[in-house]
Amino acid sequence: MRNKTLLLAGAALGLAAAVGTMAFGQDAVRMGRPGPFTQAQVDTGHQAYADNCALCHRADMAGTNDAPALTGTAFMGAWKGRNTDALYSKISKTMPASAPGSLDEATYTAITAYILRANGATPGTTAFTPSASVGIGTIANGQMPAGLDAAPRVAQAGGAAGAAGVPPRRPTSRFSLPTKFGLTLKGDIKNYVPVTDEMLRNPPDGDWLMFRRNYAGWSYSPLKELNTDNVGKLTLKWMWSMPENGTMEITPMVHNGIIYVWGTGNTIQALDAKTGNLLWENRIGPAPRAPGPGPSTEETRSLGFWGNYLFVNTPYGMVYGLDARTGEEIWKNNIVDYKPGIGGSTGGVIVINGKVLVGMTNCGRPGTDDHCYISAYDAKTGKRVWKFVTVALKGDPGGDSWGTLPDNQRKGSETWIAGTYDPELNTTYWGTAQAKPWRRDLRGSSTGDTNYANSTVALDPDTGKMKWFFQHGPGESLDLDEVYERVLINHGDQKTLMTIGKAGILWKLDRVTGKFIAAKETVFQNIWKSIDPKTGRPDYRKDIVDQKVDQWLSSCPGPEGGHDWQATSYHQPSDTLIIPLSQSCVFMLGNGSQTFFEMPGTDGNMGRLSAYRTADMKPLWSFQQRAPFLTGVVSTAGNLAFVGDFDRVFRAVDVRNGKTLWKTRLGTTVQGFPVTFSVDGHQYVAVTTGLGGGSPEAKPGTMLTEVHRPPNGYALFVFGLPDEN
Amino acid sequence: MTSRLFLTLAFAVAAAPAFAADYQVNLGPMPLDDETKAVIAGRGEATISSDGKTMSVKGNFRGLPSNATEGHVMISPVTGVPGKPAFDLNIPKATSGDISGEFKLNAAQAAALRSGRLYVQLNSEKAPADVPWGPKGTLWGWIFPAHPTPGQDVPEEGHWFLPQTDTPQS
Repeated sequence: MRNKTLLLAGAALGLAAAVGTMAFGQDAVRMGRPGPFTQAQVDTGHQAYADNCALCHRADMAGTNDAPALTGTAFMGAWKGRNTDALYSKISKTMPASAPGSLDEATYTAITAYILRANGATPGTTAFTPSASVGIGTIANGQMPAGLDAAPRVAQAGGAAGAAGVPPRRPTSRFSLPTKFGLTLKGDIKNYVPVTDEMLRNPPDGDWLMFRRNYAGWSYSPLKELNTDNVGKLTLKWMWSMPENGTMEITPMVHNGIIYVWGTGNTIQALDAKTGNLLWENRIGPAPRAPGPGPSTEETRSLGFWGNYLFVNTPYGMVYGLDARTGEEIWKNNIVDYKPGIGGSTGGVIVINGKVLVGMTNCGRPGTDDHCYISAYDAKTGKRVWKFVTVALKGDPGGDSWGTLPDNQRKGSETWIAGTYDPELNTTYWGTAQAKPWRRDLRGSSTGDTNYANSTVALDPDTGKMKWFFQHGPGESLDLDEVYERVLINHGDQKTLMTIGKAGILWKLDRVTGKFIAAKETVFQNIWKSIDPKTGRPDYRKDIVDQKVDQWLSSCPGPEGGHDWQATSYHQPSDTLIIPLSQSCVFMLGNGSQTFFEMPGTDGNMGRLSAYRTADMKPLWSFQQRAPFLTGVVSTAGNLAFVGDFDRVFRAVDVRNGKTLWKTRLGTTVQGFPVTFSVDGHQYVAVTTGLGGGSPEAKPGTMLTEVHRPPNGYALFVFGLPDEN
Repeated sequence: MTSRLFLTLAFAVAAAPAFAADYQVNLGPMPLDDETKAVIAGRGEATISSDGKTMSVKGNFRGLPSNATEGHVMISPVTGVPGKPAFDLNIPKATSGDISGEFKLNAAQAAALRSGRLYVQLNSEKAPADVPWGPKGTLWGWIFPAHPTPGQDVPEEGHWFLPQTDTPQS
């Protein structure tokens, strides 16, 4: 009976969809019937929305990343059949995402009123209360009144050092925002060794000069003082608390005994790698849009070196060249062509032949001429050298894959992980994220492939000209990015590229031609019925192809991945790729609303660490645990692999069999990209703790109710063997 | 362990119209968010034996936030996608207890059992009251061929269980 009822409900929704936009138009609303809220609540809610919601859902309520749109077709598709009390319940129990339930009742009711008004409901004389239950489809039509998304009347506070186009900052919270900016400690590092192109091609054993240590993206260190016999003695050498809380997924960078680390608000610090002493500090700013753990748009993941320069890309779309010896700013440039709220950069940089290459995120808004792109900057001057737009526009190769969609509607294909590079082929490889909006029915791209979204793109680093692309997820619809690290591995004469995305498919391509070689499923997935063994083209489940905006779809994996930004490590001596995997699924509605569930066959274990031999993609070993892994992996010539998890555990495993040889508990979630380095002949391991981010934080944050993590504890930890060794 | 799995799969792939096999299911929370996780919780396990024409379910559940109301074996078009009730299970109206049931299988149900498209679902009084779409209930778990389940942090060498590769497609 229950399922018959659901089927009938589904049929009704399908009928509503079949009649098209009329369901969301004026005819669907009982004109003249006011909503159960007042104009005063709307005004209050406008400010409260700006303070607590706009960071993720955006001021225009169009949504971004994990935050669904709160107005228009997407919102009405999710809510037109539900009542206002359900909307209040949803908001008050789940928002703000970083602190659900932390606002008072008056604020939540005001925000609910504002969202209803933003969908065309008109205010009345009765104030909204949590129990006020009116059908949303009877009072709202999804059409935002003109001007409602303008800045609220009350002036914002806390906007120190804001740059043009950066949204205002939330003024009050249990966390505080940075208050001082600029070069707060000037350095004087003697005998600094300039970083050469040759050092980038063949990094010194003790250094960590780029995101995944070498151009091939291995995250493998030739250091072997630490090994499987002595790692059990590993001990804390020093710990450095980060200056502010926020979103933290950084790679500590190491050159010649100095650690350079990024912190919230774009605070860059240089530390003596042996002692933790602060050598210089530049608080570039601006402060994040809100204090405390934030979304993945509030961070960056790596820095870059060349000459005497240290390069920094910032979440609000700037790239800086600092003097690595003093911390002084030498140049800066806009990655994005500044427009309010459009574009940022979180993936770190890669430096190739004197150019700083950087990607974009949160870029390109429907109806504008803005698109996401990869761009390159002269390392000495910061002048932009080229840019490559990552969506195929009309006339481009693959431009017809978007159907008849006009260029200003072709969005997404973000590049939020730095690329890799093959010097012999003089080719840089980048992954791209999915097309936007996520879902085909909202995007309007029909069943088209939406090139070059969810692809590998191979570019000439000197010109930005594309050499080839391979699309892993054509016409993707479920927020399943294929954006992550491209690992370059040679098998004899065969030059391959390996990568794994949220779908959990480990891909192997010929990196000379872009041709598909092989694919391997690493976790349960039910989105693709098959993958063509010759072309690598996947065949989507029919209900995904036929999706409707008001339809819930099951997706395994969900947006947490499979695999996410927690990068792999390639242990070259044993030809082993070690992959952090996550095991969760979602039900997703057309507007991006999600509910989460455990991946079938995992017995509630959300974390998995697996190893594959890359020559034949044979599985070597794997273990799973309740908590997902929230760091990348680093492996070493000592046959160790280091990885950290959601439940604060940092561990070393034996690369050969996956057995845990050492572990410790840190202050909060171990999150970021651990590295290893040496100073004065001794090997160390560095890792950060912190919170914030997208699905890898959000899904276990809801599902693992038994895990309790403090919202502070952001730090850099450095481990080594005891001094007597 | 690997040989046990191999034998299980060998039986499954050899797939005569009727064959005996052991299956297992681990029950966990149905889809939830921060709004509904207070009423969608709990855990359970069951084993299923089948001669290809019948199936027998024995297990238990615990930790429901409200009393269970009904339990079913459900049939789905795709693993991980909700389906329809196929059989009613015997469960107590309590927050914990035993699960049992004996059923005759038709050809479609037998094929669904072999291919990982049957699942167990338990509903409860409070979970959830206001979701007019999608799956509604408290615990669910997909029935898969018996396979090793090593503990936390215990590595498996070589092949490990993946539902889509370790169950027949039909």
